[in-house]
Amino acid sequence: MTNGPKRILVACGTAIATSTVVAQAIIEAMKEKGIEVTTRQCKATEVSTLVKEGFDLVVTTTPVPDDLGVPVIQTLAFLTGMGKEEAIEEIAQALQT
Amino acid sequence: MDALLTAIKAVIDNLGATVVLPIIIFLVAWALGAKPGRAFRAGVMIGIAFIGINLVIGLMWTSLTDVGQAMVDNTGVQRDIIDVGWPSAAAIAFGTSVGLWVIPIALGVNILMLLGRMTKTLNVDIWNFWHFAFIGSLVAVVTDSVTYGLIAAAIAAALALFLADWTAPAVQSFYNLPGISIPHLTTAPGVPFAIVTNWIIDRIPGLRDIKADTETIQKRFGTFGDPVILGLVIGLILGILGYYNAGDLQTILVSVLQVGMNLAAVMLLLPRMVQILMEGLIPVSEAARDFMQKRAADREIFIGLDSAILIGHPAAISTALVLVPVAILLSIILPGNRVLLFADLAVIPFVVALFAPLMRGNIFRMVIAGTLTLLVGFYIATGMAPLVTGAAADAGFTIPEGAAQITSIADGFLWPPFLFATLTQLAGVIGLVVVLALLAVAMYFYSRNRKGWEVAAGAPAGDVEAAAAD
Repeated sequence: MTNGPKRILVACGTAIATSTVVAQAIIEAMKEKGIEVTTRQCKATEVSTLVKEGFDLVVTTTPVPDDLGVPVIQTLAFLTGMGKEEAIEEIAQALQT
Repeated sequence: MDALLTAIKAVIDNLGATVVLPIIIFLVAWALGAKPGRAFRAGVMIGIAFIGINLVIGLMWTSLTDVGQAMVDNTGVQRDIIDVGWPSAAAIAFGTSVGLWVIPIALGVNILMLLGRMTKTLNVDIWNFWHFAFIGSLVAVVTDSVTYGLIAAAIAAALALFLADWTAPAVQSFYNLPGISIPHLTTAPGVPFAIVTNWIIDRIPGLRDIKADTETIQKRFGTFGDPVILGLVIGLILGILGYYNAGDLQTILVSVLQVGMNLAAVMLLLPRMVQILMEGLIPVSEAARDFMQKRAADREIFIGLDSAILIGHPAAISTALVLVPVAILLSIILPGNRVLLFADLAVIPFVVALFAPLMRGNIFRMVIAGTLTLLVGFYIATGMAPLVTGAAADAGFTIPEGAAQITSIADGFLWPPFLFATLTQLAGVIGLVVVLALLAVAMYFYSRNRKGWEVAAGAPAGDVEAAAAD
């Protein structure tokens, strides 16, 4: 992988509603941890096409195919507020490996 | 109460939603415990989103009105109600005099119902409070009273909680989302529809044995899933129908291609603008979530979320892909329909997502139930279009001169707004009492036979079947 900021693909049903919440939360949380990230939002249907453009991680609020070749984290923690710390840890770890 | 609200409305009308909504969002976020700086930025972002959405709606409205008019002249097919899409409907709903107050009202209803043990759902999906505002705004236009509109919004919020509770076990088992419910008024109202359709199909030999497989459908209909290409294609087709006789070849070509590009642009830009609106609402929804969770901490509760979390399921996606061409076909052939479908073709998965649990993900059945929902929806939308257009005017959206009326599949096609609007149109405030009574009756029967209702909505009948259904 290249050295620049880590690229995260954030997916939900519309690429509008819940993925915006998740993307913003990830950017904020990773900034605090000193990990530089950029996010791109997409619909669940677009994940398998877009992921080929070179993402380090997929975070999704809705089911996506699991044979993408990059780590996938499906979580509602950023929406419900429950288990948010664990989800942040999981994302940070996935990015550092 | 009305005098005060009318006075406030006069001031608000002067300033416009782009100024007032930021102020209100700032105050609401701050009151719920967000930091002032964050709350302030949230308000400003929402104002910006409003300006952006207004620009894009203007583009869409003008392009579609012109080409729609040309098409009527050419073909005699009258399609003068434009589907401006749920992003526009949401912006309109939040921008009306009802929408300005919907967040505190719906939070209040939720807290009261939690305290009164009338619901298990904690609705943290602040963004989708626009559905309650949408219903309230229509009632306000019908009754010419903001107070009635606010009451209607409160009842709509309660209706969403009821539907969320009722469908929660089905959602939790079929979609594997423990502790979640869906108080979303585009998705949840489909359930009664689906139950009836399912019951009928079960009684028709032959039909009841058909099953459709999701992967072939996704492959065959995949291009319909890309909104930009969809917008371009629809634009080109409408352009050809409207302008094929507009002059020499060059004029025709220019007009047709311009419509295509304009509508493709709308399909990309409108969701982007709504992302800004969402971004602005995040501090509010986070503050509201913490505020509510503190007050309901000792209870077993379901967290109410956006149905967007269901849309990735193959059953929802495939059904919607099939329904896009079906919807376009219906819009052309249905006699008496005046709706020109456009921006909300992308919202169809939301309408069908909760059909999946009780139809066990059978695409064939979901397509039939979806077709029926849309079929009825075209007439509901045609009837309610003046109200939706009135609400847009109330929200301060610029309506181009000689423009068509507007609607959207979410929620202009659906029965809850229709029920509220029709009953208040017939009986004024008594209409609201009737809606509330209907809701109370439904809640009563549900509380008497929870298991039965929940299984009807698609919850597993027993633990063994839970695994089989998945």
